[in-house]
Amino acid sequence: MHLLSIRDLVVKFRTHDGTVHAVNGVSLDLDVGEALGLVGESGCGKSVTNLALMRLLPKPAGRIEGGQIYFEGQDLLELDESAMRDLRGKDVAMIFQDPMTSLNPVLTIQEQMVETIRAHRKISKADARARTIELLRMVGIPQPEARLRDYPHQFSGGMRQRVMIAMALALEPKLLIADEPTTALDVTIQAQVLELLSSLAAERNTAVILITHDLGVVAGRTQRTNVMYAGFVVEAASTPDLFSRPRHPYTIGLLHSMPRVDAQSGEPLIPIEGVPPDLRQAPVGCPFAPRCAWVVEECWKTMPPLVPIDRVAGVETTGPNVTHRVACWNVPTADEAVAAHPERPGFVPAAPPSAVESAR
Amino acid sequence: MATLVAEAAAPRVSSGLWRDALRRLSRNGPALIGLFFIAVFVLGAILAPYISHFDPTVGKLTDRYQGPSLTHLMGTDKLGRDEFTRVLYGARISLTVGVTAVLFGLIGGVVVGSIAGAAGGVVDGILMRIIDVLLAVPGILLAIGIVSWLGHGEVQIILAVGISYSPQFARLLRGSLLALRESDYVTAARSMGASPARILLRHMLPNALTPLIVQATLAAATAIIDVAGLGFLGLGPGDPRIAEWGEMLTDASSFLQNYPYLIFFPGAAIVISAIGFNLLGDGLREALDPRLKR
Repeated sequence: MHLLSIRDLVVKFRTHDGTVHAVNGVSLDLDVGEALGLVGESGCGKSVTNLALMRLLPKPAGRIEGGQIYFEGQDLLELDESAMRDLRGKDVAMIFQDPMTSLNPVLTIQEQMVETIRAHRKISKADARARTIELLRMVGIPQPEARLRDYPHQFSGGMRQRVMIAMALALEPKLLIADEPTTALDVTIQAQVLELLSSLAAERNTAVILITHDLGVVAGRTQRTNVMYAGFVVEAASTPDLFSRPRHPYTIGLLHSMPRVDAQSGEPLIPIEGVPPDLRQAPVGCPFAPRCAWVVEECWKTMPPLVPIDRVAGVETTGPNVTHRVACWNVPTADEAVAAHPERPGFVPAAPPSAVESAR
Repeated sequence: MATLVAEAAAPRVSSGLWRDALRRLSRNGPALIGLFFIAVFVLGAILAPYISHFDPTVGKLTDRYQGPSLTHLMGTDKLGRDEFTRVLYGARISLTVGVTAVLFGLIGGVVVGSIAGAAGGVVDGILMRIIDVLLAVPGILLAIGIVSWLGHGEVQIILAVGISYSPQFARLLRGSLLALRESDYVTAARSMGASPARILLRHMLPNALTPLIVQATLAAATAIIDVAGLGFLGLGPGDPRIAEWGEMLTDASSFLQNYPYLIFFPGAAIVISAIGFNLLGDGLREALDPRLKR
């Protein structure tokens, strides 16, 4: 049994402008102690997937319209609110993007951390305080005893994110969700915080979902990476495999648009043309089709399933031998992935079905 | 690691929001003037028996209608009662009834606003429509209605003014709570398993407090005027002997032509105390709102 299994999760937001199709059938698995990177651009559904898992979608707009989320075999979508509250923080904890706004400005660090610990564990204030000091020391806050009574505004951004990490790990959760944990931090601090996060999680055998828009963040810090686009998982593989053998046109595009230290001088960055799709329209076909160089006729009609790229006997969804899977009707070859464009003689990208367009 | 060292070496400044606010307030001239006015009235009300040896309810008919003099600083009224003493004792009624009424309104507003802001949805809709109706009725009219319904007396005035003030607090708080509900730290607190009650009481209310404090201070100014207004309209404390600024105005208005000083002093007391609360309220707003930081 996996620690976490998300099956065909569908999340929609009802807004004044219409329904936003945020997550369109995401499935993923996670084992105990495993680190999974969830990569994609803003609005691809990576944060929403995790908010849905915590059942913290903004109400009343956000709705889970389908799927199951099994945590240790229990479907979280069937739990009542008080059982869910019990699980939050204790079994699954979250670190948010902006440490400047995710700590309460009017409460001291001590008040916030002691409160969190005592919400789940029946221990005395003094014990909770001792535990808080221990946690703060663990995340590298100097003189934790003296800083307990400080307010968040007396900490720098990096220090606050360390406090958030300490708070998230306070109850030894089995799963830690880090939603863009370093995006709001100075570049010089980012690596320190990521390093701290992965080493603490590894020590405790805590599973981690690392959400980021930066492929560089997952490299070397996660065992597996799932690439998301417009509410779909489009490629899933072990992290080294994803970097060495990207197969989805979007992943290829992401890797080519990222500056690399080992690049030959003068090698151009190749941007992904176009813009992400409007999520207010129900997805028809592959959402990446309008920006894809490999597009074939089928792409405009149906969303391809996430299937293994090699012929294999069984599909592994977790672990070091995870099966490399991709959702594409016209999977680019290894050479094309390097070149970042189709190299088949006579291949012409399929035009969008204009007849359908004009009929609308 | 450079940042770690820098953090550790930095001088330890322990200054909270309130200390900051207090410092800004102490540099705000008008607010200090307001505070001074309020202090004068509060001290006058408390120390009235020591400041003046006259009885506010008893006068000598032979001494009536005396102009201001050294014996009677503000003169005497139609029953020969010392006007200065009556203004001092009037401050007791105005300040206690005015401030208690605001506190009562504040409590009512906080309860209703918290329920609306925290619950949202249908509950919020129904409560806000009720508040809309209450706000549509002019406050003093509502207060008059309540006093005529419940009868004369100080408690009735407190209830009347308090009820007519609670909608503004409820709506103000509800607005702040709605904004705070979507804030990162509230989501973060929920993600750590905090209960709804805890989120409301520990995380949301303290952050929504400052506009309420400002509004309450400003409301104290209007409450003093409203209490005097009710007194002026004959809906003051039941006992006509009690010194109350509004009733003093009504009494004096009959003799406005001959003895204008009788209307001047209680009128000035109302105006100055109201100005005091207004200046303090404005000062508090500037001190507590970080966006107005200079």
